[in-house]
Amino acid sequence: MLVGAFACAHTPQLLARPSTEDRELVLRVHAAFARVKRRLETLRADAIAIVAGDHVEAFFLDGVPALAVYVGTECAGTFGRYRYRFAIHEPLARAIVEQGVERGFDLFYTQHAPLDYAFYVPLHFTMPEPAVPILPLHVNVYLPPQPTPRRCYEWGRALGEILRARPERIALMASGGMSHFPGTDRYASPEFEYDRRVLESLKAGRGRELAAITGEELDKMGNIELRTWATVLGAVGDVKADVYCYEPSWHHGNAVVEWPV
Amino acid sequence: MDEQPHYRFPPASAYRLNRCLFALKSDDAFRARFLQDARGAMSELELDAEDAAALLRGDRDALLALGAHPYLVFMADLRLRMEREPVSFEFF
Repeated sequence: MLVGAFACAHTPQLLARPSTEDRELVLRVHAAFARVKRRLETLRADAIAIVAGDHVEAFFLDGVPALAVYVGTECAGTFGRYRYRFAIHEPLARAIVEQGVERGFDLFYTQHAPLDYAFYVPLHFTMPEPAVPILPLHVNVYLPPQPTPRRCYEWGRALGEILRARPERIALMASGGMSHFPGTDRYASPEFEYDRRVLESLKAGRGRELAAITGEELDKMGNIELRTWATVLGAVGDVKADVYCYEPSWHHGNAVVEWPV
Repeated sequence: MDEQPHYRFPPASAYRLNRCLFALKSDDAFRARFLQDARGAMSELELDAEDAAALLRGDRDALLALGAHPYLVFMADLRLRMEREPVSFEFF
């Protein structure tokens, strides 16, 4: 069953803060992460299904999956000085890939691929105690052509049905967003007003609007990672978002959100 | 106003350049070799002269014009700077 749904920023500066970053802002985002952690403990989640976009870490141009499922027994990765490793909920992973394919989603799967920091950063801060296994689900956000927001939403709807039919208590988490433009001229000028409009729409329970946004618009608004949110919204439907925080830094709109399920 | 998307399809002509940026981002051993001997490391990955020159200059605009992926340019540069001039981080 699905017991909770969240979205968490994964800005690496939240993990390793250089002097360019406002410490108080970073701590406010950490406080929102701590709320997610407490919620995951209260919800007694058995597993966290986390939807993130690999940042060209597991999947380089040698093979670019649109949607992928990590189905090994565990997964690990590094980011700077951080070394991390998580157990994968293997029966759940296998059920998702098998039933996803059965439902018409031609999923890529891997039993061994490095886990990108996009998965790690939210888990570093929100993993309940004791730790639970995870289920990493990749959505291609950085290597065009990416899946359309509508496709992500539809995949999320199928994913939600699969998760709801399972005996485990599963929390679903999107990692990513909001507006940021790494490596471009726009790095220091994200589209914060756009972020706020998206959050207002989500607070009003109009999640399906995200499915109608074009990939072109997401790129223009620095929000290519909202594909992970669209996936979670497909699973939860038009429920009203509880925005734990929205903290725009000089280069990134950091949001933490929960949806009732 | 630039109507090009921020993140474009990476042209096949830039495969080697992107592979080198990917290695600088994610492969600690390669990054260490690059810091010791940039030209040697780039020739390992068969970069052509134009790509190598742009990378040596750290010229983002030239790299992007050659087809480099903006995120890879960004993170390769960040990882190199972290090695060259370790800034102080607060680790959480």
